[in-house]
Amino acid sequence: MLDTVVQNMGLLCSRHKRGNQATTEENDQAAEIERRIEQETKAEKHIQKLLLLGAGESGKSTIFKQIKLLFQTGFDERELQSYTSVIHANVYQTIKILHDGAKELGLSEAGSSKYELSVDNKEIGEKLSDIGGRLDYPRLTEELVQDILKVWRDPAIQETYARGNELQVPDCADYFMENLQRLSEANYIPTKEDVLHARVRTTGVVETQFSPVGENKKSGEVYRLYDVGGQRNERRKWIHLFDGVTAVIFCAAISEYDQTLFEDENRNRIMETKELFEWVLKQKCFEKTSFMLFLNKFDIFEKKVSKVPLNVCEWFKDYQPVSTGKQEVEHAYEFVKKKFEELYYQNVTCDHQDRVFKIYRTTALDQKLVKKTFKLVDETLRRRNLFEAGLL
Amino acid sequence: MPVCPTRAEGQVLDLDTAVKDGVLGGGVGFGGVFAEKLDLNKMIEELDLPDVPSVFICPISLEPMEDPVTLCTGQTYERSNILKWFSLGHFTCPTTMQELWDDSVTPNKTLHQLIHTWFSQKYLQMKKKSEDVQGSVSEILTVLKKVKGQARVQSLKDLRRIVTNHSSARKTVVEKGGVAVLLNLLGPYTSHAIGSEVVSILVNLSLDSPSRLNLKQPAKVSLVVDMLNEGSIETKINCTKLIQILTEEDDFDSDIVSSHGLLVGLMRLVKDKRHPSGNLPGLKLLKSICSHTQVRILIVSIGAVSQLVELLPGMNPECLELALFVLDAVSTVKEGKLALSSCADTIPNMVRILMRVSESCTQLALSILWSICKLSPEEYSSIAVDVGLAAKLLLVIQSGCDPLLKQRSAELLKLCSLNYTDSIFISKCKLTRTIR
Repeated sequence: MLDTVVQNMGLLCSRHKRGNQATTEENDQAAEIERRIEQETKAEKHIQKLLLLGAGESGKSTIFKQIKLLFQTGFDERELQSYTSVIHANVYQTIKILHDGAKELGLSEAGSSKYELSVDNKEIGEKLSDIGGRLDYPRLTEELVQDILKVWRDPAIQETYARGNELQVPDCADYFMENLQRLSEANYIPTKEDVLHARVRTTGVVETQFSPVGENKKSGEVYRLYDVGGQRNERRKWIHLFDGVTAVIFCAAISEYDQTLFEDENRNRIMETKELFEWVLKQKCFEKTSFMLFLNKFDIFEKKVSKVPLNVCEWFKDYQPVSTGKQEVEHAYEFVKKKFEELYYQNVTCDHQDRVFKIYRTTALDQKLVKKTFKLVDETLRRRNLFEAGLL
Repeated sequence: MPVCPTRAEGQVLDLDTAVKDGVLGGGVGFGGVFAEKLDLNKMIEELDLPDVPSVFICPISLEPMEDPVTLCTGQTYERSNILKWFSLGHFTCPTTMQELWDDSVTPNKTLHQLIHTWFSQKYLQMKKKSEDVQGSVSEILTVLKKVKGQARVQSLKDLRRIVTNHSSARKTVVEKGGVAVLLNLLGPYTSHAIGSEVVSILVNLSLDSPSRLNLKQPAKVSLVVDMLNEGSIETKINCTKLIQILTEEDDFDSDIVSSHGLLVGLMRLVKDKRHPSGNLPGLKLLKSICSHTQVRILIVSIGAVSQLVELLPGMNPECLELALFVLDAVSTVKEGKLALSSCADTIPNMVRILMRVSESCTQLALSILWSICKLSPEEYSSIAVDVGLAAKLLLVIQSGCDPLLKQRSAELLKLCSLNYTDSIFISKCKLTRTIR
């Protein structure tokens, strides 16, 4: 298409010349524009397109933020500050979900007072729930912080939090609750950690271009990373990005095996991810695309496995624990990994023979690990390029 | 004044050079007194050199002489050998065939001295080189523990070179705890560059039980399987060999090898026509792991059965036997039987193999044919007979192979014949007479 544009531009310019006896200056300009377009077209060909895909809350945007932090100039003060309102919103949303959730659970378990807030906290709870339902959130003041902490520490809320998987409690809940005092300070500027934990539902597409700088500072690879919204209604926008993709980074939050979707409370999140992954694998445009599967949120998975058995998820129903502690965590992880591997190979045909497929264990919040993981991804893609050029 | 070089059977011992090199005791460092301390017999054995000058070799035993004695004909032999010759009643010179006019044997002190000095020199050279090797290995291992990135890759490459060129280095690496250092470098975040070098070194070393256990950690196995799928042909073969070493333990856990990634990678190796050196190692590992039922089912599920069947005609005997073994193993599971029978080339290829390559291949091909025919006797046995199975079976029965094999052939023949009347069957056998 670009060729047509270039050609037509040339025509336009020459027509213009014939019409108005164009000066040499105008000719020069036209030539300059043509040259620039040609240069950019060439440059585009060297840019490798990476696509972050996955269900909602699988960690795509966190990976996106990490890449910005690692390979670009990171977040400047202005950008950090822009996250303050998001973080405060997260706090209000969290406490509202917990408060309303407590009521719900209290109703379903009639007769039990486990989810009954104490008399003092009931009123505060209602007030906070009200605030959380608004479109505009008030600034986090000292008073509000005290209120929130009172409700958060109420045993009924803690009981509710323990059943957080049945509600839509965001993963950043306890991080923000623990740091509440700091978040409310007058001159609060979010830290990198805070920004990484901040939760905004991505809508539309976000992109960033970067060059991973290697040891010899010579890398030369240019990547363009695209982040998308993961919820169901966002997925129809994905198809526009599917052409010419070098690699798909598919994020699957393995800690979600006991949680349900935000957009459909009857649907297990892992089952949704499973189906989504299959769908992505079968796309014709990805026949030659490399697939990097990030099994994300390993830190949460680690802690959950000993408390909640894997077999609550239908896909993992044949899981048999063999030991306890760290060994068991490893065993559980290997089981999940094998399930995904099986899924991949079940959806592979002879057209996909040469396709690269690798699985990585990630914790998107950990910058060091993301850096190490990305180094491996980069190496794999570079070797793939050499292989395709016939040099390997 | 130039000295005439002594010539003996092609090998020239140039006296000028020999003096310069110190063999004749004129050189630096390797004087005669020094050399006397080393036991000649021990040196000869340890060195085991193929290029010993022929003047040092006894014409009777073709071994270097430790106690050379000269006869009256001027020919020199190893004392014990020539005395044995005499004790057998011969009084001739073995090489010149002359009758001896004098049965005395004179010790050839000069030659003995030369031989001793030559071997001592070589021995000391070898010792020095091996000490060098030991020193280099220690050095590299120390460096390895400290550096990262490119420097690490370079150290590993150096280590690999030494281990490949000097077999003594391999023991040294193990003795100096190098195996643990290498194993530590393998993990979920190991790059391909480092992982492939580590594997290429490990396959040359003898790994003890704890090391092998360490290697069986899921993260490390995953890494090796990934490299098997993505590496160069050398890396692929090294990874295959390493996993092979792991499978050779008694209490081997089949979970590790029941991996789609591994089997897909192995099949790629086996099918690779551009790099046939990988075919055999791939097949060997497939054979080792197909003893587990889980693996057999996996082999079927990745579509390997028809791929293997189609490769059979092009395989050399060694590969063929391994491939048949795998297919035979697969035929013991229901999915395998189905896959084998649904592949159109199975029966013709198996029939062709009978009595064509080796007895073991015939046995395996027969076993596979059995599995298929038993599935649906009318259907498959008629296909088999159509491609000449009956004639081949008769060949087996008439041959000199294992009685059990003959018996099975007879049974299969009977099974096939059940669907035909006698006359039709005989005509299908393409023979004018039958042997019942």
